Amino acid sequence: MIETIAGSRCPRCGEVFAPPATYCPRHPVRMTPIRVPGVGEVVSFTTLHSPPEGFRSPLHIALIELEGGARFVCHGAQTRGLKIGSRVAVEAIDDVYYFSHLGALDRARLFWRRTGHAGERVNAITRSLIKRVWK
Amino acid sequence: MENVWVAGAGMTRIGRRPEPLQDLMADAALSALAMAGLERPDALVIATMNPEEFVGDGNFASNVASYMGFADVPSIRIETATSSGAAAFHVGFVEVAAGQRRSVLVVGGEKMTHLPTPKVSELIGRSIDAYERSYGATMPALAGLVTRALMARQSTILREMSQVSVKNHANGARNPYAHFQEPVTLEQVMQSRMVADPLRLLHCCPISDGAAAVVLTADRTPVRVAGVGQGTDTLAVRHRHELVSFRATQTAAQAAFAMAGFGPERVDFAELHDAFAPFELIALEDIGLVPPGKAGHVTLDGETALDGRLPINPSGGLKARGHPLAATGLAQIVECIWQLTGRAEGRQLDGRVALAHSIGGLATNNWVTLLESA
Repeated sequence: MIETIAGSRCPRCGEVFAPPATYCPRHPVRMTPIRVPGVGEVVSFTTLHSPPEGFRSPLHIALIELEGGARFVCHGAQTRGLKIGSRVAVEAIDDVYYFSHLGALDRARLFWRRTGHAGERVNAITRSLIKRVWK
Repeated sequence: MENVWVAGAGMTRIGRRPEPLQDLMADAALSALAMAGLERPDALVIATMNPEEFVGDGNFASNVASYMGFADVPSIRIETATSSGAAAFHVGFVEVAAGQRRSVLVVGGEKMTHLPTPKVSELIGRSIDAYERSYGATMPALAGLVTRALMARQSTILREMSQVSVKNHANGARNPYAHFQEPVTLEQVMQSRMVADPLRLLHCCPISDGAAAVVLTADRTPVRVAGVGQGTDTLAVRHRHELVSFRATQTAAQAAFAMAGFGPERVDFAELHDAFAPFELIALEDIGLVPPGKAGHVTLDGETALDGRLPINPSGGLKARGHPLAATGLAQIVECIWQLTGRAEGRQLDGRVALAHSIGGLATNNWVTLLESA
């Protein structure tokens, strides 16, 4: 099962964006809400070694082109073995999107690194594991 | 449309400066006015990107006008993020070209080295799309994405862009106004600290203070403004199809050349926006100064060096001269004017047509300016 991500389509040019935009950046018309599949190809990625406040170093950021054409910015647990053109899945963990082919251990580490109360972390890990089993 | 001429150009040394921003801007303004032999312009156009947060002052056109003794001169402030200086030049140009003013003083400045680096990065980063920012995207992060995409297309890019830094530091070493006046080696660049993989510290411009100013006039002088062009693109990088070229630069260049009535083959030297070294390579191709795919080659071959066929960033560029945000677009134009009028001691070029290219945000609001010896 693939997660879907909220997006929008321009009724004028058909361009698709995710997350949704109110107006099309190139046309002064309101966009139509749609859902786009959370899978695509890596367009580019980088690792920040002194990320801005509120983020832990190293911070992996990727630009993914989702099926349907929308480009999407998200995080990742690591970029080892990642290439431009790699196919990845994108999923939300506590409302933050990550690209992955991750194992359970990677997931657990990823939640742990995010700031938050211990309870929230455990909940998030549990939710993700349930999701994983469900898939 | 009236012809618009450049009467004066001045700037402060760029770097860590103890003076208040208003003082730096007054210094640059007075030296531009002195070169023009003008005591009082008809109007002022002020460029600052974010004085509200960098130095805590607002209403900045009136603020700086009053500070330097021009409280009675009409003034406005222009802002297009990191290209504000070039945008202010455009507004000054339009005021003179329209016949509204005989002379306009354009001054740009920024002061930020007194703040901690993370704070400066955050303030500059506010020109990035809010969603991308919420994922930790900073200017170096987005430039890192661009560079990685370039690498996938051309495996030699790391060496080529490192050579851009080496060249620009070598030029800066000859410029007494530059932030950095020490050369660096290719090894130093390629082994400097990783900032946003694959971008390293010596591929990135510094945080600088400084100011630059230009006097525009309707009266004939040795330098004419041949063309000014603006190009824009989406705020969000993910809303674009292309990562390895900037549409905003291409559009700005086309508009400037259309106004000038000539093409890139007439350009003798250029100041390009190398906030990140690979951006100089992208700009060379986007503007049409070199054929697609050749920017790295010509750089490694020394064609863009001070003694090359097409010198790029004789001032040292953003990399070595420094990048005091709203001053930068004007500092580039000041360098072009000094070169065209034989005032660039130690790095003097022989040329008649100069080009300045300024990037606002992550290439959301770019400018190309063409200057010509009359």
